[in-house]
Amino acid sequence: MTPLIPILFLGALILVFSGRLLVQWSRKNRTQSVTIEDYSSARAALDSVSVETMAIKRIFATDDMGFISRTGTPEVRRIFLKERKTLALQWLRKTQKQVAQLMDLHLKLASYTHEPNPGFELRLTVNYMFFIFASNVLLIFLWLQGPFKAVSTVGYTLRVAEYFCSVFSLRLEKINPVKLDPVRVTRMV
Amino acid sequence: MGTKLIWSSAIALEAIVLCRGVKAALLRNYPFFYAYVGCVFLVDLLRFSCYEFAPNFNQAFYWHTELVTIVMSYAIVFEIFRRSLRLNPAVARFAQTLLFVVLVLTGTYVAIDLLHGGFTSLPRATAELGRDLRYVEGALLLVMLWLFGRYRISFGRNLLGLTIGYSLLVGLDVINLAFLFLPGNELSIGLRKLRPITYLITLIMWCASLWSSRPDPVPPEESAIERDYDLLEAKTRTALAHISVRVASTLRP
Repeated sequence: MTPLIPILFLGALILVFSGRLLVQWSRKNRTQSVTIEDYSSARAALDSVSVETMAIKRIFATDDMGFISRTGTPEVRRIFLKERKTLALQWLRKTQKQVAQLMDLHLKLASYTHEPNPGFELRLTVNYMFFIFASNVLLIFLWLQGPFKAVSTVGYTLRVAEYFCSVFSLRLEKINPVKLDPVRVTRMV
Repeated sequence: MGTKLIWSSAIALEAIVLCRGVKAALLRNYPFFYAYVGCVFLVDLLRFSCYEFAPNFNQAFYWHTELVTIVMSYAIVFEIFRRSLRLNPAVARFAQTLLFVVLVLTGTYVAIDLLHGGFTSLPRATAELGRDLRYVEGALLLVMLWLFGRYRISFGRNLLGLTIGYSLLVGLDVINLAFLFLPGNELSIGLRKLRPITYLITLIMWCASLWSSRPDPVPPEESAIERDYDLLEAKTRTALAHISVRVASTLRP
């Protein structure tokens, strides 16, 4: 029975993926392909992630916590911790969402480029999976421990987010915008 | 009676698919697919004749022709690959590399498996080779389906029907063949009966989706987009100005 499992898995996956293809097709009739607007908003999103990264490091800075601990009352410390925690969680969720959107756009835009690199694509996939895992772990960690005890994981998440930004930035530079859809209409011949 | 009914229905549906292919001028767009359907149609007619007039020869004839049809079905894999990625050169090259790796890996595994198994009889060896070729085909198809989903490849109705129908056939066939070669498994008997019905469903799907020629999604014409290029430039300038302000405010002590 054991050698049967990978084969059954293969058959089942074919059926699942073909179902997904059907769902994707039915959704495509409602949603549109990549447009020039998507392209320009992706560029803006990339730039904003890069800029915000500098400011975000401040949320997790232990200097602020040290200052509050020295000068503030326990109530002020509690409010400060609560605010920073909320801010950190919001930032992380936003980063997750932005990276997911950029990844989605990157995959859609892949067909507009003429420089395929299978090794790069595989590396990117693995990195993206690690990012999802690490950022979710960080999310739980932030929730349980607060923002100041997750500094190393935050550092990793920021590095990976920056890596994705540089990757997507390179991808966008390779895009020929002339080949994108000008308007939000699915074109057929 | 039931077997004959399914059999004759399949032959009739294959004939309809071929006729519609000619009438809707789809033969030119999907030559490999119609070559496969034509081949299966001929094989089914021969099998039917063999079943009626030379039943003793039927089993050996079945497995030999099954091998031919499985080899021919690789034409559909090629057709799906050719048609779906023709407008996506980057993904096509990535897919080519990935498919080659999968082909070499599964082909090596199958060859080793065949050599280790030994040849008990010709029909058995033929059947095992057919099964292993189907496994390789399944692996190739799986990689393609994954790529289509990952890169959001656009499909026209014709190609979608062809791909979904074929995936259903191969997916269930792979599961069925796995059980079929497992000795003493009761489930395989039930699944064997299900196989012709799956094929009928696939043929019905092909009939419906390839009844008439439907347009494939295409990238927009370049001249139409050039008009909006100035707009993009203006938007980028605005975004840059916005970012400059934010950078300045972030760096301010």
